Amino acid sequence: MRLDPALLARLGPLPVRARKVMEGVLTGLHKSPHHGQSVEFSEHKEYAPGDEIRHIDWRAFAKLDKYYVKRFEMETNLRALLVLDASGSMAYGRGAMTKLQYAAVCAGALAYLLSRQGDQVGLCVVGDGGTSSGVREFLPFASSHAHVQELLRILESAQGRGPTLLPAALDFAAEKAGRRALVIVLSDLFDATEQSLRALKMLRSRRHDVLLLQTHDREELDFPFDDPTRFLSMEDERQIEAQPRQIRESYLNEMRRFLEATRKELARADVEVEQIATDAAPDRVLLKLLARREAA
Amino acid sequence: MLQFAHPAYLWGLFAIALPILVHLFNQRRPRPLSFGAIEFVLRSQRQKARRLRLRQIVLLALRCLLIAAVATALARPSLKPRGVQAAQATGPQATALVLDASLSMRYRVGSRTLFEKARSEALAALDRLGPDEPAAVGLCAGAGGFAGGGMGTPSFDRLAARRALQSAQPTFLSSDLTGCLAAAARALGESPVAGKRIIAFSDLAAHSIRLDAPPPLVPPPANAPPGAQGIRPNVVLVDAARGNDLPNAAVVATAVRPSATLGPRGYEIVATVANSGAQPVSGLQVSLKLGQNTVAKGFVDVPARGTAKKTLGAVLPPGVVSGRVELSRSEAQGLDEDDGQDFVVHVPRDVKALIVDGAPASLRSRDEAFFVEAALGPARTGGRIHAQTLDADAAANASLDGYDVIVMLNVPAPPKAFAEKLRQAVARGAGIFIALGDHVDPDAYNDSLGELLPRPLHLIKTAAEPGAQGEDRAARFGVVEWTHPLFRVFGPAEREGLESARTFRYALLKPEGQAQAHTLASYDDGAPALIEKRLGNGRVLLYTSTASRTWTDWPIRVSFLPVLQQSVSWLADALEQRQPTPAMVGEERTLAAPGGTRVEKVLGPDGQPVQFRRETAHADDAVVPLAMPGPYRALVAPHGVEPREEPTLTFVAGLDPRESDLRRVDEGELKAQLGGAESAQVASTSAAAQGAHGTPLWSGLLLLGALALLGEGALTRR
Repeated sequence: MRLDPALLARLGPLPVRARKVMEGVLTGLHKSPHHGQSVEFSEHKEYAPGDEIRHIDWRAFAKLDKYYVKRFEMETNLRALLVLDASGSMAYGRGAMTKLQYAAVCAGALAYLLSRQGDQVGLCVVGDGGTSSGVREFLPFASSHAHVQELLRILESAQGRGPTLLPAALDFAAEKAGRRALVIVLSDLFDATEQSLRALKMLRSRRHDVLLLQTHDREELDFPFDDPTRFLSMEDERQIEAQPRQIRESYLNEMRRFLEATRKELARADVEVEQIATDAAPDRVLLKLLARREAA
Repeated sequence: MLQFAHPAYLWGLFAIALPILVHLFNQRRPRPLSFGAIEFVLRSQRQKARRLRLRQIVLLALRCLLIAAVATALARPSLKPRGVQAAQATGPQATALVLDASLSMRYRVGSRTLFEKARSEALAALDRLGPDEPAAVGLCAGAGGFAGGGMGTPSFDRLAARRALQSAQPTFLSSDLTGCLAAAARALGESPVAGKRIIAFSDLAAHSIRLDAPPPLVPPPANAPPGAQGIRPNVVLVDAARGNDLPNAAVVATAVRPSATLGPRGYEIVATVANSGAQPVSGLQVSLKLGQNTVAKGFVDVPARGTAKKTLGAVLPPGVVSGRVELSRSEAQGLDEDDGQDFVVHVPRDVKALIVDGAPASLRSRDEAFFVEAALGPARTGGRIHAQTLDADAAANASLDGYDVIVMLNVPAPPKAFAEKLRQAVARGAGIFIALGDHVDPDAYNDSLGELLPRPLHLIKTAAEPGAQGEDRAARFGVVEWTHPLFRVFGPAEREGLESARTFRYALLKPEGQAQAHTLASYDDGAPALIEKRLGNGRVLLYTSTASRTWTDWPIRVSFLPVLQQSVSWLADALEQRQPTPAMVGEERTLAAPGGTRVEKVLGPDGQPVQFRRETAHADDAVVPLAMPGPYRALVAPHGVEPREEPTLTFVAGLDPRESDLRRVDEGELKAQLGGAESAQVASTSAAAQGAHGTPLWSGLLLLGALALLGEGALTRR
């Protein structure tokens, strides 16, 4: 069954939608969703009270007559930071879902997937009103179920408003990501584009794996309006009256140039870009994305 | 100026409000939409903003233009020349096209005449009439209004109207444009079409317009209620001269009179030259032509709006002489036809007279022939009469051959041989003038001259003794046939000179017998004073008193001289003819055939026969219509005989001098005469001929509308 956005929108709260998407992705990958942990021995540590008794290395006790506790290292110690743009422009969408909702579903599904395989997932909601500049909410890296639930809750409650503060948020994310991490940015990247691109490239330069899920509404891509319209900015006070039919060609050219330039610019910086429209099935989008990364 | 055939459609112009409202609606009520990618909208709009705004304005303009063009085209607009608007009514109009064909329309400007221009414009006006507008054509020429029988009822036969205009030619007649307009208005009354319009093409010369006449009125329809008023038609006067002055110099009169200073048959031709222009003319050459020969030239200065006389002298040959006075022609412009004027003069032949002095005296003043010789002397006759005086005896022995007239003054009764010679002379055509005196014995005279005398002498009557008391009882001339050639020279004011002459003694005549004598003058007691008789080819004229002061004081009076000169000329059949009465083109001239003959043919100035008519009362005479200026000659003959030219019937038809005065009527006064500016206009340009409808614009407007539609479509699709 294909999870098109209209159907997905009817599935209720975000955790349900995200899980469905995740399952759809996994189904597409033909892998069991329960594949177990994969860890490997790292070092021994002399037992101290409080250590897990089940981690005591009995073979070492037999040889050395001392209690040593095994230290393990995760096989894939991936830390993924989901950066969700919750600016005003992301609230646009007159179809089944807004861009923000769509991006949240994708982010939730990715969180599920990542936590499912033991990776730590963090969340940074970009927007105004937070404690830090450009960050409305931040959830540090973790992989527990409760963490994921908390992450999904934040995603569901995210509302698109205010200006885009993505560059500042990315700076914040770079700081919080610490060592090498996977940074997944979900944004339309509409405003402050130059700074945003610079910030993305800066992330990449810090050896983070950066993936941009550039999300657009179909109407933004096709500009299907006919009637005279007063276009209102969703992030500030700008507005303009226009005859859509008269400017359509010019608009589409501008949009095409923007997408192309973004893709090429980030590709040069080895930033992976996936430009998606909100009318596409999210599971297919993610499946395609994961398949491509698997192949890489 | 714009005019509309169906102005109601102009209400459609309010539909222009629709695209304006749509434009304003689109401008003011856009649908609000919060849009994420507004940055790209802004960029696009910024790029195209100016172009789009211009495009919107152009679109609005094209839509408005489309509606305006269609609405205006439906109203059938046309462009009228300036000044025609007020006279133009809406809807179809019966139209009378009046083309001035008077002489002044022959005025030449360059290579074209005003008439040719007017005719072209009339044809153009005819072409521009709507299919629902009947038309009538009339040529305005002659005192009667329209040439050729007036204007017919307006009809839709465009071909006939066109043919009438194309075949129209200017005349030499004067015109009465006021009368023509009135007649055209009457003709319009016969058309059922409600609109009435007269378009007249004229030079607007003042002489053709009567400003005191009532304006033209179309009579009410026959079925109109009693007392219905006439309709005032729209009158458009198209000025063929396009408002320009028409300077013109013309010979307006020619007088011919004998000139004693020029010798025998010397004549003065006095030409009156008129200048109707606003500028004086100086050094204008005037030529006198006889046939192809220029016999005299002179120059004349003519003041502005004035006249001047120029006298040219010439010795003319005897007989009927045709001549012409001409002005040098202006090459640039002018009315050529009035630059010259023909004249005809009957130049009497020379007369040889024999004066038979019956009572010669050594003292000249006592001589019987003293007064007669003085009267016939070269100083008095210009040498035309050569008189020789002989006494009675010498005359009796002389040959009378070669003499045209024998004047017998107080001659005793001539011998038989002399009387016979006299009789033979009269028979061949000579004339005899007999004056009496103391040497005349009535009975002997009767015996000697017999039938030569108009009437036999009876006795000598003494009315009073000269110088004695009772002188006032002297006889005076009583009844005089003033119309006779002998007395025609006397005007009413000059007759007193003849009537006051006193005659103390005179012969009484016996009652009239079989002879056909004609009394030309008689005394106050009824006794004949001058009596004539035709005999053979000659005539005898008897004066019953003396040609000296013996019996009368007439010879010392001024009236004696012309009567004697006229008598000699008349007897010699060489009477100096009075110049033919001037005739004018457009009139009719009755040519009275001499006795026993009939006018068979009349040749016009161009040498071609002229159609004439006869009147029942005088079947031998000819009534000749005068269509052209110049000399007319008549050929007469008795019945059944080859006709010969009769010089005495030759005459000249002149032009109406008023036509040479091309001063133009004041436009304001003309409009006022035609009923005011509301119904009458004067168009001053050549395009005014289109005043009938103006230049139609609706087709162009439709084209404009179509272009606007195409443009709107192209802009909308982009």
